[in-house]
Amino acid sequence: MSFSADKQTTDDLNLLGKYKPGSVYSLFNTVKTKGGERLLDELFRSPLSDHRAINSRSDIFRYLSANPVSFPFTGGQIALVGDYLGMGGSGNGLAMAVSVGRLRLLETAVNDKRYAVIREGVAATVGFLQDCRDFIGRFDAANAPALLTGKWMAARTILDDQRLKGLPVQQDVGTLSWFRLAALHHLFMSVLQDSLTRLLDILYHLDLYIAVSRVAAEKGFSYAHALPEEDYIVHAEELRHPCLDKAVGNPVLLDRHRNVIFLTGANMAGKSTFMKSFGIALYLAHMGFPVAAKDMVFSVKDGIYTSINVPDNLSMGYSHFYAEVQRVKSIAGSVGASKSLLVIFDELFKGTNVKDAYDATLAITAAFAEYRNCAFVISTHIIEVGEVLRGKYDNLQFLYLPTVMEGRTPRYTYKVTEGITSDRHGMMIIEQEGILDIIAGGGVHH
Amino acid sequence: MRFTTDQQTLEDLNIFGRHGVDSIYALFNRTYTRGGAALLEDCFRYPLADVEKINQRSGHIRYFAEAAIGFPFRPEAFDQAEMYLANEDERTKLSVGERSLMGKVSGLIAEDSEYKTIHRGVSALVDILQILREFADRVDVEREVIIALLAEPALQPLLQDQHKGKLPFEKVAAYDIILRFRHRDIIRRILQRIYQLDMYISVAKVARDRGFSFAEALPKERHFIRLEGVYHPQVKQAVPNTLDITPDSNVIFLTGANMAGKSTFMKSLGIALFLAHAGLPVPAAKMVFSVRDAIYTTINLPDDLGMGASHFYAEVLRVKKMARELSLGKSLFVIFDELFRGTNVKDAYEATVALTTAFASRRDSMFVISTHIIEAGEVLGERNPNISFVYLPTRLREGLPVYTYTLEKGITADRHGMVIIQNEGILDILKNGKPKLTKNETV
Repeated sequence: MSFSADKQTTDDLNLLGKYKPGSVYSLFNTVKTKGGERLLDELFRSPLSDHRAINSRSDIFRYLSANPVSFPFTGGQIALVGDYLGMGGSGNGLAMAVSVGRLRLLETAVNDKRYAVIREGVAATVGFLQDCRDFIGRFDAANAPALLTGKWMAARTILDDQRLKGLPVQQDVGTLSWFRLAALHHLFMSVLQDSLTRLLDILYHLDLYIAVSRVAAEKGFSYAHALPEEDYIVHAEELRHPCLDKAVGNPVLLDRHRNVIFLTGANMAGKSTFMKSFGIALYLAHMGFPVAAKDMVFSVKDGIYTSINVPDNLSMGYSHFYAEVQRVKSIAGSVGASKSLLVIFDELFKGTNVKDAYDATLAITAAFAEYRNCAFVISTHIIEVGEVLRGKYDNLQFLYLPTVMEGRTPRYTYKVTEGITSDRHGMMIIEQEGILDIIAGGGVHH
Repeated sequence: MRFTTDQQTLEDLNIFGRHGVDSIYALFNRTYTRGGAALLEDCFRYPLADVEKINQRSGHIRYFAEAAIGFPFRPEAFDQAEMYLANEDERTKLSVGERSLMGKVSGLIAEDSEYKTIHRGVSALVDILQILREFADRVDVEREVIIALLAEPALQPLLQDQHKGKLPFEKVAAYDIILRFRHRDIIRRILQRIYQLDMYISVAKVARDRGFSFAEALPKERHFIRLEGVYHPQVKQAVPNTLDITPDSNVIFLTGANMAGKSTFMKSLGIALFLAHAGLPVPAAKMVFSVRDAIYTTINLPDDLGMGASHFYAEVLRVKKMARELSLGKSLFVIFDELFRGTNVKDAYEATVALTTAFASRRDSMFVISTHIIEAGEVLGERNPNISFVYLPTRLREGLPVYTYTLEKGITADRHGMVIIQNEGILDILKNGKPKLTKNETV
């Protein structure tokens, strides 16, 4: 069973998307190699659901955040070696020597480019192996977390191969005889092709580990500790949105006794941002990635579902309200099927009239709250619902994001506070933008 | 002056569509040639605000729709001709005298590919010109221009060429010089006229196949729109509606239950108005409209956390943008679906009343506003005589809501949100599910 988050959720949280500005993926995408980027994609697409696996992975990042190393290769250098090894080619040494010899003759005779390609590939690989030796030698991972030590040892074993002793230095490759070049070409392409490919793969992993842990160190992220599902808890201090600079941190605690957060607050007070921060942190935590929070502990969940920006779907004949109803229904299906989920509803039923929204929010919140193995964050403008729920259920936390009035200007603290607020400043914002005056300013009046 | 709009509107109305979604543009894009497709795209990219130009374009399309004239050319001929004309290199010019023995011999063994392209291009153009000569006599639109272009003396041998089968080398060489070098400019202009015809003819066919009609543009100062039987072209068995907008009813205040079809109706208005300004046929039985300076819709507005804006603030900024345009004295067509849904009820009520009143004072623009806050409608009706109240009704049949999708006059208090939730069985799903952890186990 893997941790699941559907398209609506990853869109709401802006998690994936290489080319999307401000996505969480692009925040972490500082890898240098294509292979590293591929791995990052994979990790983002498949968060883990086993708490031990999560902790082993986050241990690697934590270790590298505390003991920083730099990744000394450039993407271009590694791509060159990868392309060269990917050229393939097998056969015995003699056949290969003959074919390399032929290319050497063709180079002189008709300026054929293939010999030069081999020479460059060999030179790049020789240089790459030398750099690897320096890098692995400098980087002492003997006491690192087991996964990292394993990769490091494997790299060392490959580099220690007797057959890789006595290689020429990179600058000299150009002056080698065709016969010596053919021997090296054969060594890289057929004898050691497997171990060199494995070595590249190890470096892709190291690239990723180093890049992610560096982002964590620069942004002051920390690592979440995963617990078994049955603990039913999510706790974090100073939780914030990873993609916003100077974001304000907030504590969150959801457990079996208090598994629902009922969130209120004026427009622009930061409700959506708070909810998104929470969703993103839990998603990253399930990847074993650094989180924008402190002291985060969480029991693993089966997935996250959010309902923040649900568009209507005219091609399927859905109005906005009906699209929301369908979303809630599909989430209810997963919750009812005994999954442990984090569910986030922002402004539930905003696409309908107040009376309906009131009835629906009350009924739905009460029904979901029974599932103590799930965690819910529900925001609404209909504060009256909160008052009724407060009297009836003991497992709801009422939180709000306050607005402080300084004269006629609203200021937002972005600090969650206990209680329900009836702050509203919509008209004030409209007045401040001067909209009514602007409209009256021009055109024909009757 | 152009008729303007913005990205939000284009997305709301699905004019160009996202990847994999059928757009309004795709619905019209049945052109035969690439050149025709480019002209059609221009119509969509640059809608007009000029009464004469709009009526002229739509008149031309209407002519082809009514005369049921098809596209007489082979569509591939244009690709061949364009590929051939793209080569402007003088050195590739064929010349009769210089065809060497070597060339002739190798031509026997394997046709030289360059010559092949030239040969195909020349044949295609000869074909096109001859068909056009005959076609120009049969149509009213573009006739004079085309006949004048074809009157060029140098083209006469080509037009009168009776050769059957493959053109011989000598003729190809002679025509090549005329087509590709000496009178290249005329050929280009002729092709452009054909692409224009293609656009008219292919759009006319769409209009005929789908039963679209042709809107009549009126001067802006009339501030008048009459739409009879307008419907959404992408909804199957869409129900048509009729609406009049005049300076005395320039704000349409729309109410209705969820799913009663408010958004679809608003989108169909927006689409009809957009297409009408592009001079294209509209999904309506009849349409007469005063040109506007711009159309702006707000139907699916996303919040924009990246810019630090909440949903409500996004709406406020959107309103402000329209307010600015209004303050420049422009005449707009504005659609607002669920105005201020991103805020609490009290604010939404006050803001809706204040804003709708402000809009209503601008009789030179038109506004269609939908809301769930029916209380706002009652207050607005007392204050503003020029607000027209319409709603989309819901009928209950055996406990299930049924929608007519037909506009009626007035304000409705219909609401069936809970009925829908009950019908979907959401609460039952949760009641019958098995929580892994219940209240009793938490003690």
